Amino acid sequence: MAVLEQTPPAVVQPSPTRPKKGLRKYWHLYAAISPFYLIFLGFGLFPVGFSLYLSFHRWDGLGSMEWAGLSQYQYLLSDSDFWNSIGNTIIIWALATFPMIFLAMVTAVMLNSAVRFKGLYRVAYFLPNVTSVVAIAIVFGSIFSTNSGVVNAVLHSVGIDQVAWLNTPWGIKVTIAALMTWQWTGYNAIIFLAGLQTVPGELYEAARMDGAGPIQTFFRITLPLLRPTLLFVLVVSTVTGLQSFSEPQVLLQTSSNDSTFAGGPGHSGQTMVLYFFQQTFDNNDFGYGAAVAWGIFLVVVLFSIINWRLVQRRGD
Amino acid sequence: MRLSRRGLLRAGLGGTAATALGGLATGCAVPTGSTGRNMVLWYWSGGLSDTVVKNAKARYGSSVSLDAIQIGGQYRSKLITTITGRAHIPDIAGLKGEDMAAYLPNADQFIDLRTLGAEKYKSQYLSWKWDQGIADDGTMVGFPIDCGPVGHFYQYEIFRKAGLPYEPDDVSKELNTWENYFAAGEQLRKRIPGTMLLTDVNSVFENVVQQGSKRYVDKDRHFIGDQEHVRNAWALAVEAKRRGIVSDLVSGTPDQLSAKQDGKLPSELGASWAAFDIKNGVPKAKGRYRVAQMPVRPANNGGSFLSITKACREPEQAFQIIAWILDASNQAQGYVDAGLFPSTPASYGLKQMREPDPYFGGQVTTDIFGPAAQKIVVAYNSPFDVALGQPIKDEIKNVGVLGKDPEKAWSDAMSKCRRIAKHLGVSY
Repeated sequence: MAVLEQTPPAVVQPSPTRPKKGLRKYWHLYAAISPFYLIFLGFGLFPVGFSLYLSFHRWDGLGSMEWAGLSQYQYLLSDSDFWNSIGNTIIIWALATFPMIFLAMVTAVMLNSAVRFKGLYRVAYFLPNVTSVVAIAIVFGSIFSTNSGVVNAVLHSVGIDQVAWLNTPWGIKVTIAALMTWQWTGYNAIIFLAGLQTVPGELYEAARMDGAGPIQTFFRITLPLLRPTLLFVLVVSTVTGLQSFSEPQVLLQTSSNDSTFAGGPGHSGQTMVLYFFQQTFDNNDFGYGAAVAWGIFLVVVLFSIINWRLVQRRGD
Repeated sequence: MRLSRRGLLRAGLGGTAATALGGLATGCAVPTGSTGRNMVLWYWSGGLSDTVVKNAKARYGSSVSLDAIQIGGQYRSKLITTITGRAHIPDIAGLKGEDMAAYLPNADQFIDLRTLGAEKYKSQYLSWKWDQGIADDGTMVGFPIDCGPVGHFYQYEIFRKAGLPYEPDDVSKELNTWENYFAAGEQLRKRIPGTMLLTDVNSVFENVVQQGSKRYVDKDRHFIGDQEHVRNAWALAVEAKRRGIVSDLVSGTPDQLSAKQDGKLPSELGASWAAFDIKNGVPKAKGRYRVAQMPVRPANNGGSFLSITKACREPEQAFQIIAWILDASNQAQGYVDAGLFPSTPASYGLKQMREPDPYFGGQVTTDIFGPAAQKIVVAYNSPFDVALGQPIKDEIKNVGVLGKDPEKAWSDAMSKCRRIAKHLGVSY
C-alpha cells in the first residue's frame, strides 16, 4: 500500500446520523419485512455458506471434520462419474426439452383456435404437472417395462423388436426424457397460450388481407411475437431439467441391495443431483458431496449465462 | 418433496419467523435428549413390532412415558442430522444394519451398553449378530433386533416338472454347491424353455460375497476387493451369465413379478424378509413356493439394532426397556407382526414361529431360517465398504445387463476402486 498522507489522519467527525434516524423512524417497516430475511439467513444463506466450508473438509456426518484443502475439488475434476453425470443430465435435458417445446407449441396453437371446452382442456393439460413425480415414475416404469409394457406391445404389433427400455443406456435416457416431456408439455402449453393471446388480432387480419396462408402466418407473425415466451420456457426448462432427480431415482430403483442413486446399468440414468445424493448419503462422504454440489452449481451458472446471452440478443 | 422458500414462507410466516428468531438467538437453550419422565424412541415403519412397542409403553408407563416415533424417509440422515445438531436427540434410536458401518466409528455418540450390564444377555443372542453391534474399540453400540438369514425360495411344481429335486430337504441337500445350482438352472431351461434360474448376475455376486468372512476393506483400512474372495464371487457371476441361466429382467419391476407368477423365474435367493415381498408381489402364487437352504452356506442380509444415545438422561431405564422389547418372546411377536426374524434362538421354538405357512404350502419356514441363522459368519463391515464395493457391483451389472467383456469390466472396476481408495485414504 502506498502511503498517501504524511500527517496523522484527522479524527473523522461522525456525520449527522441520518441512517440511524431512518432506522428509528421506519423500524416497523423493517420489522415487517424481516421474517423473510431472517429465514433466508438461517435456512438459505447459512447452509450455502456452510456447504462451501464443508467442501474443504472430510466429514462423515457424525465425527470430527478434517481439513482437506482443495483435494475434494481436485478429485472432482478427475472423477469420471461426475463428468458422466453431467453428460447424462444434458442429454436427458435435450431429449426432453426440444420435443416438449414443439408439442407445447402445437398444443397451444390448437387450444388457441379451439372454441368449445377451452377451460376443460386447460385443466386437463395442466394436470400432469401437479401430479406427484413419484406416481408418474411408477406408472412410466410399467409402461416402459420390457415384457409387459404398453410401449413394447405397440412396437411388437407393428413388427419392431422389443426394446429393454429400463436396461439399456439409451432406453433409460429416452424413458426419463419421455416422463419429463409428459410432465411439462401441458404446463408450457398454458404459458404459450398466454403468449399467443397477447398477439393483437389486427395483425392476423392484416396478414389475411395480404393473402398469407396459416403456415406463413405462424412463422412470420406468431413465432416472432412469441419469442419472449419461448425464451422464458427455455430458461425454466433448463433450470428444472438440470435439477432432475426424482424421475430417474424412482424409475431405476431396483432390488433393496442396490444403491437407489446409481441410475441403472452403467450409471446411464445418473443425473448430477442423483450423483450428489449417491456420494453424500450412500457413502457418507459429506465433504465430497458438498464439492459435488458446488460443481453442479457451476454447471447451472454456465447454463444460466448461456440463457442470459440468448435473452440479451433479443434487444437487437 | 421440494419446498420452495416462498412456499415455506406462505406456510407459516409468523411461526417460522419466531422460531428462526428464537433458534438463531439462543443456540444452546434447546433441551438435548429427554427431560424427566419423557423418553423418546426413534424407529422406522416396520422396524419394530407395533404390538410390542404398545406393550412396552403400558408396562413402563408408571416410571417413564415412552414416546415411540416412527421416522419416515431417509432415517439415517435424519438421525445423524439430529445428533449433529445436538437438540431433540432421541434417547433410544433404532440403527439399520446397513448403516452400522457409519455409526460404529462414532461410538462416542452412544452409550456403551456393556456399562449397563449387556454382557448378562449375550448368551441369549446369536453371537455373530451380537458382535456386529460392537465397535473396533470394544464399545457396544447396538443391541440386536433382527437378522436376515438368506434362503432359497423356489416353486415346487416347476422344479418337479423340470426333473429337479423339489422337496425342501432334497433341494437343500442336492443344490448345495454353486455348480449344482447352476446345473439345475441349465436343466430347468432345457426342460421348460423360457424359464430362467436367476433374475440377474448381481444376486450371485452379492450372495457369494455375503457368505464370506471378508468384504471390500479390512480393519486396517486396506482395500481387499481385489482378493480371492471377491474374484471368486465375480467368477461365479460371470459363469452364471455364460451358462445362459440369467434373465434379462430387472429385479423389482412388474416384468419380474409377472415372470414369477408365470413360473418363468421359479427360484430366488433372498433373506427371510423377502418372503413378505414375494407374498405381496405375487399373491396369486400362494401355495406354490417353498424355501430351502441356499447353496454352500447361509449368508445374512439385513437386520437392525437398538442403541442408547449419549443424550439419554436415564440410560439404565432405557436399557431395561430395550432388553425387554428385544427378549425372545417379543422377538417372536416381531416376526409375526413385521417379519423381523429373531436374533434370539430361543424364539425359534415358540408357537408363533412354528405356524405352518399356507403361502409356502404349509411349510414351517423357521425350520429353514432358524438353523441358517445359527450358521452365519459375518465379515468386518468397514465404513468404506459401500464406496469401494459399488464400482465392482456396477461392473458386474454391466457384464450381466450390457454384455460387457468380463476382463475389461474387472480391470475398469479395479482402476476405479484404486482412484476412490486414494481419495478416501484407503491403502491399496
